[in-house]
Amino acid sequence: MIAHIARKERTEMWRDGRFRVASVALLLLLMVALLTGLTASRSTAQDHESAQNAMRGFWVNQGAKNPHSAAHYGLWVFKPSLPLSFADHGVDAYTGVTTWLEAHKQNEFTRRPAMDRPNVARFGEWTAAAVLQLLVPLLIVMLAFPAFAGERDTGTLRQLAAIGVPVRTLMLGKAAGIASALAVVLIPATLLGVATLWLGANGGRGVDDLMRFAMLSVTYLLYFAVLLVLALVVSARSRNVRTALVLLLGFWTLNSLVAPRAVADLARQVYPTPSAVAFQAAMQKDIEQGLDGHNPADARRKAVEAQALREYRTVSLEALPVNFDAIAMQASEEYANTVFDHHFGALYDRYRAQNTLTQWAGLVSPLLAVRSLSMGLAGTDVEQHRHFAVQAELYRRGLIKWSNDYFRDNTRTGEWDWKAPPELWAKYPPFTYEAPLLGHALGAQRTAMLVLGVWLLLSLGLLVRAPALPVV
Amino acid sequence: MSPSASPVAPDAAHAARPISPRLVARGLTKHYGEGTALDALDLTIATGEVYCLLGANGAGKSTTINLFLKFVAPSAGVAEVCGIDVTRDPLGAKKHLAYIPETVMLYKQLTALENLEYFAGLAAAAPLSRDALVSHLREVGLRDQEIRQRVGGFSKGMRQKVGIAIAVARQADVLLLDEPTSGLDPKASNEFSALIGQLRDRGAAVLMATHDLFRAKESGTRVGIMKRGRLVAQMATADIGHADLEQLYLTHMHD
Repeated sequence: MIAHIARKERTEMWRDGRFRVASVALLLLLMVALLTGLTASRSTAQDHESAQNAMRGFWVNQGAKNPHSAAHYGLWVFKPSLPLSFADHGVDAYTGVTTWLEAHKQNEFTRRPAMDRPNVARFGEWTAAAVLQLLVPLLIVMLAFPAFAGERDTGTLRQLAAIGVPVRTLMLGKAAGIASALAVVLIPATLLGVATLWLGANGGRGVDDLMRFAMLSVTYLLYFAVLLVLALVVSARSRNVRTALVLLLGFWTLNSLVAPRAVADLARQVYPTPSAVAFQAAMQKDIEQGLDGHNPADARRKAVEAQALREYRTVSLEALPVNFDAIAMQASEEYANTVFDHHFGALYDRYRAQNTLTQWAGLVSPLLAVRSLSMGLAGTDVEQHRHFAVQAELYRRGLIKWSNDYFRDNTRTGEWDWKAPPELWAKYPPFTYEAPLLGHALGAQRTAMLVLGVWLLLSLGLLVRAPALPVV
Repeated sequence: MSPSASPVAPDAAHAARPISPRLVARGLTKHYGEGTALDALDLTIATGEVYCLLGANGAGKSTTINLFLKFVAPSAGVAEVCGIDVTRDPLGAKKHLAYIPETVMLYKQLTALENLEYFAGLAAAAPLSRDALVSHLREVGLRDQEIRQRVGGFSKGMRQKVGIAIAVARQADVLLLDEPTSGLDPKASNEFSALIGQLRDRGAAVLMATHDLFRAKESGTRVGIMKRGRLVAQMATADIGHADLEQLYLTHMHD
């Protein structure tokens, strides 16, 4: 009987021209989003790769130079985008994708398009995620709002009740009917996604990418199922079509447009992060005065000096067989690193707290949990950004230490004019980055998965314990 | 509808009688807040009977039908369809029922045939054959091109015919009709009554709420007059002339 009802729903929807227009339009929009996403991510990846290669070229060919000058010369590194990032750009526009590695400083990321755009542009990025998060739910609302309320308005619901169709059967039949109509859009979309992934893939991590894509698809499908059941229940309980439509559009607006902004603001209120200026100033202060405020830089330098003299059993810096300037630079580098770890660690922990709060807020607005999962699976969330930032910073520290050590061992104190041979720079390996695997990505999404699970159980419950329909 | 399709009578005493009761109300009562929509209705309608309920708006005619359909729960008393207590087993009772409202509502995107297929198929154990459905629609007087036409532009008379076809296809033993002919032109009204007569001849029990005294006299076997939730008079139509029925009705309506 469920198939019987589903078939009738499908026939009605199909004959209603609005559905055909909407589904074709949606499919076209999704196609455009996927294709532009693919070409954009391909060209960005090429740009980044050639820029990073050029940087490496500059580094290797910088000629005879003092190692410390070379460390100041520094280099740019770029966060490689995962193949799936075409589907969801996540926080890339806010966090940036490239950073400048140089001596003494852990720089923040730059190339943040969001900085150059007005606030309205938050909704302007035309990715597949935008279509799936905004437009497909709108289509579900459009298909489901009259399911019961419309039949109540026209009076057919009364006739169905007279025949004695159980509400649960009717609910399941209508859900199946609308789902099969949605499949007309979603199945080609999924195939298109796979094709795009396949076209955009540059080998190596195929299985992980496919698993990410599969989970991404399942996440969105479950989300749509939840929305469909909620929409049907609202339609069943609404007095008339207009009420159902107003309620569902209200929910859509709150869930899709209001909640993401409001909760982001709330998260920033609850877990504020310092401004870029204040953040830099605080790190500078800790480097100068010591993390505890009682260990200033000159005192630390004296301690390093005393230790060097003790170690090499000499009484003066001039008598050292190595370059004390290099030793002192590395020591201050290492002290600065603990300061960076402290501040950047605290900053990212704040971001994590903000994100966890946002995921919990998914209990009110399920899209928040889905957005989080979507970014996480596409590899564009804050946690995976942090992973890259940490790897880049470790590379910077290794590079600076390598140049300081070379300077220390090959010169004596004060030999600032000494130049390292030009072939030296190629000896330090180039930066490579392995993006984290799915398991790491999911670790940051536990709350989101839990929240989505709660919504699933809720909608299953609503489906099974379908309410009696008021018909009179 | 063949007599063999009718359900087994609830007990031997009933089975022994030539006609078996299909609709039974015993002390059936419905209160809405302070008001009483239906007050201790006792009514028995047997197979082959067309019982017409007359009365002003708000007299309790529709409430009676809604109680048999379990659209509302009774405050007291029992409503039975083919021996099944409607409150205890509403789905079981509804298997025997067909309901035709003032205007039969159909899905305008579907053809007459598809509407019939949907409504009749909802409670059917096995899929219905298309040929049988088409012949049901022909029986109620739809032309072949109308059968395959979307019902968006159907007149009320055509909708009522589809409603009867649904009742026929579902092999309903009992028909509940709520002012089914109001607003129909005399010809359509006459056709509708003829169809009801055919169903009655095949053994259906019919309860029809109506304002149309002429129609009640013509197609009813019995009439009952309701006033403020009470059944104040009932008689066989064979025993009363049309003018007398009208006089009786007006007498009761007059306070």
